[in-house]
This record gives sequence, C-alpha cells and structure tokens, in this order.
Amino acid sequence: MSSRRSRQSSASVSRISDDQIIELVSKLRQFLPEIRDRSSDKVSASKVLQETCNYIRSLHREVGDLSERLSQLLATVDADSAEAAIIRSLIK
Amino acid sequence: MRPCNSLKLEFLKNWIMGLQRWSFSKKEMGILERKKAIKLSADIAMASARNGTTRWSRALIANAYSKHDKHLVSKGASTEYSRRIRSKKILKRSCRRIRRRSKGLVRERTRILKNLIPGGELMNEGSLIEESLDYIVSLRAQVDVMRSLVSASEVDR
Repeated sequence: MSSRRSRQSSASVSRISDDQIIELVSKLRQFLPEIRDRSSDKVSASKVLQETCNYIRSLHREVGDLSERLSQLLATVDADSAEAAIIRSLIK
Repeated sequence: MRPCNSLKLEFLKNWIMGLQRWSFSKKEMGILERKKAIKLSADIAMASARNGTTRWSRALIANAYSKHDKHLVSKGASTEYSRRIRSKKILKRSCRRIRRRSKGLVRERTRILKNLIPGGELMNEGSLIEESLDYIVSLRAQVDVMRSLVSASEVDR
C-alpha cells in the first residue's frame, strides 16, 4: 500500500507517508528498547506507533507515581529542613 | 538519546519556582491534593522549558491555564497560547473532512498517539511525529529529575 500521492489539503487529516515512518522508526530506535533489540530492519508502522504510545503511557504513569511519592515525602518537610536547603542550593 | 543536563536543570528551576507559588506549608492539604499540585507544577515546568518552541508545550500550558488553578501559570505566557490554540481549533473545525471510518491499525494508532500528546488533535502527521519525539525527551528529563529528587529525599528516612 503506497500512499505517495496524497490527497491531503493543508488542514485535513491524512495518512502518515512512508518517508515519515522511516524517519520516525530511526529516531525512535534510540528510545524504545523493543525496537532497538530487534535485529530485523523491517518494523511496521503500526508497531512503531504502538510502542510509542505504550512508552508515553508508561512515562505518564511514572510521573504520577513519583508525584505521589513526593507528595508523601514533602508532607513532613519544613522550610528550614535539610531537603529544602539542598533544593535551594541546586537552583542557585 | 538522553535528555541533556541543561534541559533537566531548566525543568528543575521552573518546577521549584512553580512549587513555591503553591504554599506547601499548609498541613491541611491532603496527600492527593498535594500530588496533583506536584504533578501539575512538574508538567508546566516541563512545558515552560521549551519556551514556546513546540506545539505540545504551548498546548499543555494553555490547557493547564484554562482548567486548573491560574496562579500556577504566569499570565502573560498562557493568554497568548490560548488565543493561538483557540483560533487554530476554529480553523480546523471548518476545514476538517469528517472521517468516521478508522480502517487500519496505522490510522487507529495515530489517533491514539494524537490523544496522548498535548494539543495532538490539532496536528498533522508530520508535526505529530516531530512533536512526539520532543515530548518523549522532555518527559524523560522530567522523570529523571523527579526520580533523583525522590531518592535524595528518601536517603535519611
């Protein structure tokens, strides 16, 4: 399925072109372990998109977990504590 | 591609400044409420580190400003972003061809990706890919910094 001849107008939604997929795959290889370890060079567009979405979702989850842990930790921080001093020195 | 230290530092600075605007000394603030504040400040800090150069960061700030507590975002930055995004939405709405069918995994997963990136629903495919990569780098910087802060805070406990 080749979609080089695109029917897109400037504002309408259309398919990702083959070139864009190749570019995306090569860049994402560095990030996504599943794709990086794969010996074959043929990775389908749908697989790349799926791995990208999964990765972003896992990063979102991690931010949520870390926020919760920080919330619990910061419950006991006063303005004069050691942690606050460390933070202040970091941003000087 | 690891996020560079300057990005992490920029994020940390923005985040600390954002957190200071939100008075954490309030003991009455529950853990859940504090968690939301931490996460929101972190997201705004992450987006601000891009200085308006990427669409996802502009969309994130505009959304945060319209939905959440306004004092977490500097007013000047967000009004401009909101205006730009609002006019873009109007334009897209009038030009868009309505597609109800979603044949093929590529199209379906592209749609999912668009929903994961802030402001993604307004992007064409070319921008979406570029923005996704930048968004991932920024998220990783955010996670790295938060992780370091958590382990630093847990050392003495």
